[in-house]
Amino acid sequence: MLEYIKGFFELVKGLGITGKHLTKHAVTLQYPEEKDVMPERSRGVVVLLSDKEDGSLNCTSCLLCMKACPTAAIIIDAPRGEDKKKVLKKFELDFSLCCYCGLCEEACNFSALKLTGKYEYSTGNKDDLIWDVHKLQDVGRDVDYVDKRKKKVKKVAPKPTVSEATDEIKPTQSADKIETKPVEIKTDKIKTDKIETPQDKDEKPKTEGEA
Amino acid sequence: MSNLRTEEFDINMGPHHPSTHGVCRLLLTMDGEKVVKVVPYIGYLHRAIEKICENRTYAMCIPILDRFEYVTAMSCNYVFSLAAERLSGIEVPERAEYLRVIMLELNRIASHLIFFGTTAMDIGALTPFLYALREREYIMDLFEMTCGQRLTYNYIRVGGVSKDIPNEFTPKCRETVATISDKVEEYKRLLNGNPIWKMRTIGVGKLDADLALAYGVSGPILRASGVDYDLRRDDPYSIYDRFDYNIPIYQNGDVYDRYMIRLDEIQESCKIVAQALDQIEDGPIRAKVSPNFKPAAGETYTRIENSRGEMGVYLVSDGTKKPFRVKARGGSYPHLQLLPEIATNCMIADLVAIFASFDVILPEVDR
Repeated sequence: MLEYIKGFFELVKGLGITGKHLTKHAVTLQYPEEKDVMPERSRGVVVLLSDKEDGSLNCTSCLLCMKACPTAAIIIDAPRGEDKKKVLKKFELDFSLCCYCGLCEEACNFSALKLTGKYEYSTGNKDDLIWDVHKLQDVGRDVDYVDKRKKKVKKVAPKPTVSEATDEIKPTQSADKIETKPVEIKTDKIKTDKIETPQDKDEKPKTEGEA
Repeated sequence: MSNLRTEEFDINMGPHHPSTHGVCRLLLTMDGEKVVKVVPYIGYLHRAIEKICENRTYAMCIPILDRFEYVTAMSCNYVFSLAAERLSGIEVPERAEYLRVIMLELNRIASHLIFFGTTAMDIGALTPFLYALREREYIMDLFEMTCGQRLTYNYIRVGGVSKDIPNEFTPKCRETVATISDKVEEYKRLLNGNPIWKMRTIGVGKLDADLALAYGVSGPILRASGVDYDLRRDDPYSIYDRFDYNIPIYQNGDVYDRYMIRLDEIQESCKIVAQALDQIEDGPIRAKVSPNFKPAAGETYTRIENSRGEMGVYLVSDGTKKPFRVKARGGSYPHLQLLPEIATNCMIADLVAIFASFDVILPEVDR
């Protein structure tokens, strides 16, 4: 009998603790209406950064981020143009593969890309998760960043500039890009579970990028 | 009535049963409500993490190994980095060691809070789950503030840590640790004396020390059975010898002791974090390690004390920039193996309690 009375008092004690919380405010947020402030270092959507002055992309097509990516989510195609300079023809990021590890941002020496605190990009279509260079640049327009580049790099004018991206030419350009999407190549990569490591071939990609 | 015949029957518990903590299928042979036989079927979460690591450089392996045991991803980061450092003899700066200890212990607290919440929920008390996850959120905020992610951190690297802590970290961390230490007292008041909780846990799923040792059990479950064994003290790594903390030991080895020991460990970890925050000094946070880091050829088995027992990495290097073999050892596998041994001939509700008290996490079992 004594045990039952003791047990009853313990139950009341427990109820007292839960009862105390009745008077306190909720710790949760009503998400779509209220939003949490993401920390500065938050690793969400990857964006391409643009130059603060002329609005061109910071990317020099050095391919370091592509090589650092553990899931091969980044695909860059940058053939050499007539003047032997690399031209950024394609920069695609597949968010269905990206694991948000931030190694690409660490590998980049030119502040070309950054993981931001943005997170609302869910879609019903998996193909929409493959973002091309224009989308990556548009999303990253308002992102603040510390420029890691040296001053002398500034004279290089990378190809896809803001004017091109925002002009009426944009739809045709992106349409071209969609046609040339090498989806087959990507799936092959996943199947064989190998990551291309072009580091073996060219040991100093940094200097190439600066050229 | 005496010639009524009953038959045993098989049922599947899982793979998507809420109390299997992931995707584990238990094939139960039942005699009424009594469990006659338990056969765990694993492999639903197999991602070939070990094989994937063989095709990646050392830096790339760390985000992959984050997924090995995602409740304490800091430990996964740490054990792999430690193995690579031991192979190549890299000296880690002092401040980095402190940061690592702080993060590891915070992650241990977060993991035990998950244990506390889910075990109580499996046994039938919903409130502790909400409280535990509320406190865990503070720790997740600390991690997010430091490395940007809440679950898969990629923070501890070969040679140190990736980023230094922000300025607001230290005061917030002190506050969090003090809050959690207080809250654990509240949890104890909430559940320890509760007669329903006591009936469901005391004397249920008894595991004696001999059986535990025979099955390779480690961590809190082993210590709840009365074996005084903690790798932080018995196979020293990092700077754990500089802190003053106790290793709680319980003798009965039942569900109640396994629950109590984890609550005590939360408080001990809070002590370690508070001391580390006092002792930490300014300095570099990472030794110079090239992105194409190549350790010397050789092999090592490195183990640390994780919240679920011994976590180890057997790393074979052939001197190239990719590991030749990575074998990840998690504490949960032997614990799941032990389930048929001690859950046979118990009631199905007790099976849930025993399984929850083992704190098995399936990604660690399946890899």
